[in-house]
Amino acid sequence: MAKIIVVTSGKGGVGKTTTSASFATGLAARGKKTVVIDFDVGLRNLDLIMGCERRVVFDFVNVIQGEANLRQALIKDKNNENLSILAASQTRDKDALSEEGVEKVLNDLAKEFDYIVCDSPAGIERGAHLAMYFADEALVVTNPEVSSVRDSDRVLGLLSSKTHKSEKGEGRVREHLVLTRYNPVRVEKGEMLSVKDVQDILAIPLLGVIPEASAVLTASNSGAPVILDQNNEAGQAYDDLVARFLGEDRPHRFVEVQKKGFLSKLFGG
Amino acid sequence: MTKSRPALEFKGRMLSITRVRILDENPTAIEAQLKTFTRSLGEAAEGLPLLLDAESPVGLKPILAAMRAVGVQPIAVVEGPLSEAARECGLAILTRDMISDGAPRASAPVESVRAAPAPAATPVAPAERRPARVVTEPIRSGQQIYAEASDLIVMTTVSPGAEVIADGCVHVYGPLRGRAIAGARGDVHARVFCRRMEAELMAVAGIYAVADQMKGALRGVAVQAYLKHGVLTIDKLDW
Repeated sequence: MAKIIVVTSGKGGVGKTTTSASFATGLAARGKKTVVIDFDVGLRNLDLIMGCERRVVFDFVNVIQGEANLRQALIKDKNNENLSILAASQTRDKDALSEEGVEKVLNDLAKEFDYIVCDSPAGIERGAHLAMYFADEALVVTNPEVSSVRDSDRVLGLLSSKTHKSEKGEGRVREHLVLTRYNPVRVEKGEMLSVKDVQDILAIPLLGVIPEASAVLTASNSGAPVILDQNNEAGQAYDDLVARFLGEDRPHRFVEVQKKGFLSKLFGG
Repeated sequence: MTKSRPALEFKGRMLSITRVRILDENPTAIEAQLKTFTRSLGEAAEGLPLLLDAESPVGLKPILAAMRAVGVQPIAVVEGPLSEAARECGLAILTRDMISDGAPRASAPVESVRAAPAPAATPVAPAERRPARVVTEPIRSGQQIYAEASDLIVMTTVSPGAEVIADGCVHVYGPLRGRAIAGARGDVHARVFCRRMEAELMAVAGIYAVADQMKGALRGVAVQAYLKHGVLTIDKLDW
């Protein structure tokens, strides 16, 4: 049975698409057949971050509206055959998504894939609602600042009340906290909320802390999910996150200020 | 295949309205008092909805102008001597039945009236009480939990931007960071209890206090809020 995982946050620009891309890539790298869907109809981004924007012919909305079949619309990742991408339409808006249509596409994908990752748009309106509606699990992406935390809290409320699972009384969506853009130095100075502060407010299990790193932006611009860069802290943190999601026990890294050793001081590492 | 959407969406909302009784028609006196009032409330006064009431007919126009000038919004009058003037100015007229107000008019800092969520009749005698409603899930920002005719017991957190409302008492065993309203239909004996008070607002029978009025030693500790001679009183819960 395929698992549907929504990557959501409420607030925009916190790293949902970055997380979706790296998470899906990480699952595929571990041999799981994975598809990642861009629900941000009208503001298509995922294809850029996955580096497949030049290969988009048909998109999610085409499939929902019966203008193309799934096989035509799914884009296979260049590097990993376990990974497919379903791009959003750039020319339509979120009204083009219907609950029945989304359900049918997800059911069809479930026959073929182990994991279906839904990259939610920001906000709590139609697109975000449909992205989370059929989810089994949710990665709630939060930045260590108060407005992001409050929006995530709002989204957690919706996950517990406005999803298929909760409305049908089939249990609840399993929630995971993903704290992105974390900078221990700034936390220590009191400029950012700490992991503990955020957990205290949201009270859900922590899946991963992704450190603030310039490599994330570079990766996005070059169309290679940052998890592929295992020399980088953010890439390593995403790898830990995927391992933890699949049940491995890994300690959280990059949450404390690193003491600089003699050599790194010397070489500015 | 765009779905057709209805033009209107109706939602029941609890709205807190501050009730203003016009005691003296003199515009200068009114203006002066409004200024002091809004200054004391600070940002909370911006756009504050007001319900006007008076014992005898008064000219509403200058009063409305003075209120709007300081940023508060008169939106309706209580049916009575002001009805005619309100019709002329386009204000709504609320019948006394629509306003369930059990709060004493004594020395409350701000008097407010809570409109019932449904057009229910005002309970005159204490209404029948139902078993308490117990909530074990965290109450998240944007959620509103209302325990009608009963107490509300929340076992976990009430997040900022969430509202917990009961016609009876409200008990919160996790941190209370949102709004807690007890005695929503005017029970002046209702109370709010919480283990860790970081609330945005606490109210009993329409008498409320906002975070700015609950600073200092009360924050972060166990407290109760109740009405003492019509004044909202917040005490630490330690013994």
